[in-house]
Amino acid sequence: MIMITGGAFQGKTEFAKKIFSLNDNDIIDGKTCVFNDIFSAKCVVNFHLFIKRLMNSNIDPIEFSEKIIRDNFQIIIIINEIGCGIIPIEKSDRIWRETVGRTGCFIAKNSEKVIRVNCSIPMYLKGESK
Amino acid sequence: MMTLVTGGSKCGKSHYAEKIFDNFAGKKFYIATMEPYCEEALQAIERHRKIRAGKGFETIEKYTDIEEISLPENCGILLECTANLCANEMFRDDKIYDPTEKIINGFRYLKSRSKELVIVTNDVGSNGISYESGTEKYIEIMGKINRFTAEFSDNVIESVYGIPVPLKGHLI
Repeated sequence: MIMITGGAFQGKTEFAKKIFSLNDNDIIDGKTCVFNDIFSAKCVVNFHLFIKRLMNSNIDPIEFSEKIIRDNFQIIIIINEIGCGIIPIEKSDRIWRETVGRTGCFIAKNSEKVIRVNCSIPMYLKGESK
Repeated sequence: MMTLVTGGSKCGKSHYAEKIFDNFAGKKFYIATMEPYCEEALQAIERHRKIRAGKGFETIEKYTDIEEISLPENCGILLECTANLCANEMFRDDKIYDPTEKIINGFRYLKSRSKELVIVTNDVGSNGISYESGTEKYIEIMGKINRFTAEFSDNVIESVYGIPVPLKGHLI
């Protein structure tokens, strides 16, 4: 499993496409995809929004992530960094933000590589660049 | 040695901060700055307490005026976190204060008493949202305090989804 993170619109998806030779058909969008598609996809973007959808369906994102690791260990997960700001006023936003943090830690721990992309520039936080 | 640990919400900052003290032999203190003002705060405090249990920290709850804490020489200190301390010092008696100097002096005092000092802070300025003036002021002051703290820290570590990234100095 490979995790790519960073702020919004920093070139995470473009980086993934280039480095891992992906085309548009290899990528599903966590904001809209069918949950089970994640078990066969090569790459998922907006995993932080996928987490929100799981929560709205009363599915534990960490337990779901364990299944992803078991069934699709080659997946590339693209997840925004969303925790660096003021604590949100809405309780549901606060819970989501904290859940994304914890789930992200779990994904990172189980990933072979973790890459942060900022201004299109990749930084390998875990694992080597190929 | 002094280490500043920064990063976003629930990204492993405390975990890393506590790990620094795994091999610390002397007396160690945990300065908790979060006031238990609501149910969520209580839950957060309880969670941190559980994680810390058995690690040998003596907890000192101090929400403001950290320079008043009496501490033995050469101790270990883990302060968590700047974001709560700053809010507590800033918003008092329906007024807004600038506690930058006071907090920095407090941190310098902690540094002078300790052999190992770890300050946990938060990056609160990276979500691009504009807020009302009090919150904007808070973001500005947090930025200033973090910059000044980093200046006299030996190590500055950012935790990204559980991965510690050295911004200054070294990882433990």
